[in-house]
Amino acid sequence: MDSPSAMDYPAAKLLHKSLPPFSPLVPVALLPYIAFLLLTATFGLAFYFSTLPKDKLPAREAAVALTASALGGFGVVALFCTVGVYV
Amino acid sequence: MAARWLVLLCLLSQSLVFAAHSFENTAIVRTVELGGSLVHVTTTYAVKSLEAGSQKYVIALGEKEGKSTSYLEAKLKGQNDALVVEGHALDPKDGAYHYTVGLPKPLAVNATVNLVLDTVQTHVTYPWPEQASQKEEQSLKYESDLFVLSPYKTATQRIKIRAPSPRIISHTTPEIPDNFATDSIATKSGATVTYGPFTNIPASANADFIGQHQKHVVVHYLYEYPVVEVTTLERTAEISHWGANLNIENSLNLHNAGPKLKGQFSRLDHQSQMFYNRLAPHVLPALTLHLPPGVHSTYFYDLNGNVSTSRFRPAPSVPKASQSNQYSLLELRPRYPLMGGWNYSFTFGWDSPLADSAAYDKNTGKYIVGVPVQTHVAGSIVDEAKIKIIFPEGATDIEIFPPFAPLSQELSTHITYLDTTGRPAVTFKYENLTDKHVGTIYVTYKVPLLAHLQKPKAVAIALLSLFTFAFASRRVDYRLTKS
Repeated sequence: MDSPSAMDYPAAKLLHKSLPPFSPLVPVALLPYIAFLLLTATFGLAFYFSTLPKDKLPAREAAVALTASALGGFGVVALFCTVGVYV
Repeated sequence: MAARWLVLLCLLSQSLVFAAHSFENTAIVRTVELGGSLVHVTTTYAVKSLEAGSQKYVIALGEKEGKSTSYLEAKLKGQNDALVVEGHALDPKDGAYHYTVGLPKPLAVNATVNLVLDTVQTHVTYPWPEQASQKEEQSLKYESDLFVLSPYKTATQRIKIRAPSPRIISHTTPEIPDNFATDSIATKSGATVTYGPFTNIPASANADFIGQHQKHVVVHYLYEYPVVEVTTLERTAEISHWGANLNIENSLNLHNAGPKLKGQFSRLDHQSQMFYNRLAPHVLPALTLHLPPGVHSTYFYDLNGNVSTSRFRPAPSVPKASQSNQYSLLELRPRYPLMGGWNYSFTFGWDSPLADSAAYDKNTGKYIVGVPVQTHVAGSIVDEAKIKIIFPEGATDIEIFPPFAPLSQELSTHITYLDTTGRPAVTFKYENLTDKHVGTIYVTYKVPLLAHLQKPKAVAIALLSLFTFAFASRRVDYRLTKS
């Protein structure tokens, strides 16, 4: 951080004006629906995890846990953004 | 290239042997616009060059004047581009602050040019009488040195002090020695007090002139609006990429710098004044703020909790960096009206779509965001300001472009919801911000795609640990008896 490499203030201002505006990876209007879907899926998978048999080599349990965690991760972030805590 | 030059104030403290070329001032006219806490001064120098190729003109401000000047800009008359100004430390020998202005083109002998210097002075007015009851008027005194100093000779000089209304209670008429004075020394007409014209003033930016000839003037005038001072302002701008949102939160300590309240606060008097819509001029019942268009979800709270006496009138979003004059209106009414000398601390903030303030360069992967320095309360002065810009987690290659040099800037780490490594944050410190200090701070940074996934990953790992615990716990026998 510190003084700019090649730009000064007027150049930064021009750059800010000329570049295309920021657009998120996922459109913000969809976030509530994505949150709902992902969190329902996480809940369902967690329930399914609890019904799985206890194998010696827990391949199924691991797979279900991993997918549920991944979906839950994105679902919680989408949930935070939906309620107004923009993380 | 019609570039807009920045006003550079780099303080060089070596003793000054001016590489300044010779000039002569044919006329200097200074107009002082009195306000509440801010005083706007415009000085026009009609300059004649005495040497060929002269390009550096030196402006001098007296000691008290230089200390109270918090904004300085020099331009050629009729042009919009600010000239490069270099400030020098106070010269103890001369007792004046010197500023070297670089003229755009070197001047030939006897060429003339008109230079306009805009300055804003802060903390130069004070309420007089110092106490006023709830029903009395508010009057302020403005004190200043009379003559405009200059290291060059001045043929004629005139100072006009303009009050906001024609109700000027008094103004001093100093005694001017005969060699400077013409027939009129001080004349008041309407809302303007004109001192001068004064003729044949020698080079005045030195201790001799200041000691022998400099005069002191005081203008006592009635002021019809509350004098607002923001003692501290803390602004926090948080950038969120997942929510595509820019949240700006301000914590202010508001101070009414008018005459202190004499006697007790009478609710009865206050209510009757409000009913007839005739509040005393030094009472501040509400604040009206102009926020950028497109903001939503404003909030206003203080130490006690949410303050519901506010009204937000939104304006639709405009494209990023557009020059439109649109603004949203936020009317804040503190829990109590601010009488003279009273303080009120509160926090207000809003969310705005990130697309209104940020841009993205696909080729370099750089994001650039513009954050306004302050939301100016009309006519106020901000004594101390701290602006903190919080970047998304994992931001790298941070570059900052403040519109005017801060007192200090530092990098820190800010930790908030769902953060693991914390977010980089830059804090700027400013002092004495006026209505001219309403620029935008531009910051650029890069966030790799993997850094965007840091938050979902953190939550996923937390959930995975829960699943691991469940996995282990399923295989433990919790039965109390073995049967």
